[in-house]
Amino acid sequence: MSVIVLEDAIKRYQTGGEVIDALASVDFRADRGEMVTIIGPSGSGKSTLLNMVGLLDTPTAGRVRLNGRDVTDFSTDELTEERRSDIGFVFQDYHLLPMLTATENVELPTMWDTEVDRRDRAVELLNRVGLSDRLTHKPPQLSGGQRQRVAIARALVNEPDVLLADEPTGNLDQDTGATILDELTRLKKSENIAIVAVTHDEQLVEYSDRVVELVDGSLNT
Amino acid sequence: MSRRHPLRRFPSVLMAWRNLGRNRVRTALATLGILIGVVAIASLGMATAAIQQQATANLEGLSNEVTVSAGPDNPNDGISAEQVDDIERLASGATVVPERSNVTTLSSRNGAETRVSVTALTKADAMYNISRGRISNRFRSGALLSQADARRLGIEVGDPVTYDGKIYRVQGILSSSQGLGGQRRVLVLPLSSMDDQNYYDSVTILTEPEQSVQALTANIESSFNTADEDIVRVRNFASVQQNVGSFLSTLRLGLLGIGSISLVVASVAILNVMLMSTVERRGEIGVLRAVGITRGEVLRMILTEAVFLGIIGGVLGVVVSAGIGVVLFEFLVGSPANAFRWQSVQYLLYGMLFAVAASAISGLYPAWKAANERPVEALRD
Repeated sequence: MSVIVLEDAIKRYQTGGEVIDALASVDFRADRGEMVTIIGPSGSGKSTLLNMVGLLDTPTAGRVRLNGRDVTDFSTDELTEERRSDIGFVFQDYHLLPMLTATENVELPTMWDTEVDRRDRAVELLNRVGLSDRLTHKPPQLSGGQRQRVAIARALVNEPDVLLADEPTGNLDQDTGATILDELTRLKKSENIAIVAVTHDEQLVEYSDRVVELVDGSLNT
Repeated sequence: MSRRHPLRRFPSVLMAWRNLGRNRVRTALATLGILIGVVAIASLGMATAAIQQQATANLEGLSNEVTVSAGPDNPNDGISAEQVDDIERLASGATVVPERSNVTTLSSRNGAETRVSVTALTKADAMYNISRGRISNRFRSGALLSQADARRLGIEVGDPVTYDGKIYRVQGILSSSQGLGGQRRVLVLPLSSMDDQNYYDSVTILTEPEQSVQALTANIESSFNTADEDIVRVRNFASVQQNVGSFLSTLRLGLLGIGSISLVVASVAILNVMLMSTVERRGEIGVLRAVGITRGEVLRMILTEAVFLGIIGGVLGVVVSAGIGVVLFEFLVGSPANAFRWQSVQYLLYGMLFAVAASAISGLYPAWKAANERPVEALRD
């Protein structure tokens, strides 16, 4: 069964009397253990699609299913809960909080669940991405590759079913990018999660199990 | 493994604390604003408490006094001995002190001169407190002199003073705080020094605690005076005390109002600081929301930051105000420890509560705004 499914998803914006279809009737799915990469020119609707898959945005029409459940009409707070329990995010700019240590940054998504202590898992994840000696460092003390690995650990702390990566290698050099992609490939198997990435990076495409191209809001598979 | 942060159980508090640490200058300035507001409220409140305490202490000495003097329709030039007997009967049990008074010029050996009023009476011990020397309970000889004049003329206990050609030896120096007329310049002599006067200039009645000053005043007035004849004039300080009390209440309200304005200004500063810092962290808050932190949790976090500013500023303000209070009470009341009586220490509490409440209210809008931003838009830029 697919982890995340978009059925006939349409996203329509109204800008100054003009109606724009950012997504025009898109069908998309991602399964456990696979890395799906979305490519396409700027403005083709990649980010809109990723936001939809990440439950950060809802479609104007069509359905969104997470683990078989229809979440299209969930409220803001219900969608937040779904993101917290089932989805992990990795951003191009890492978006770590500068005043928190690496471990605290990894714990962040579960920080407000005071009854479950995810510290051990956070430390284990940081060990797994090779940062066992950087646990108490703060982001400004880390290199770009290290920061992105902290971000990946953060995306996994809640044991998600799907990990979304928006240009995960965009700010990294070729070699660092490769190690990050190796990391993601390993985690995809060991954690049995679906990875959905958006990129311009050819290198990332090589690591993908499946590539879909978005042109003017429509998918070419 | 790294140690768990002690605040980890209170994520909003931990996050708020870390966020405030990021821009220390801004945090310090916002805190300073609150501090000034709290100091304004608390120290103005404590100042009125100090003034009130001093006024009460001063008036207390007068609150049991009723003074009788000749009224405009009195046939004599004062109160006669028979009238004093009548008063003594009416004020059964109270201490009745008839006085004669005059004015004289005292001179010292080194040629300094000063003009003082002279009071002649018998029961000096009931009327005065002394700081040096002694008062005999039957005041038949000797003299008492106010501190200011004794100092000015260089007169010590045992030195002679001359009045009306007779020499009196100074037995005691009056203590400086003697009711409202604390610094009154007076020479107190035995009643016999003015035996040439037939009448008394005034009669002071010192009532017993169970006696009503108002009732006694009315009683004396009704037995001496008629509707159109004022033989005697009777005064007491109960109404003065009431007037002073209500004046001080008004003063306190006015001063607290002024103090509150500065705290309102400080809370506007907090509003500004919180608004700026949430706008700056828009993307960050978007990330929090994206990774599953709820709107309520974001709201709590930012509200906690604002309340922290209020608590830090409030605590520092209370410490500074307590210091100011001690100085105020030292100067106005002469007893710094009185600053920590409830009457004045309550203003520290009000200042603190006001600071926390004002900060929380100022934090509400920025917190609400940050929490309700859509993560998609916050992350876009």
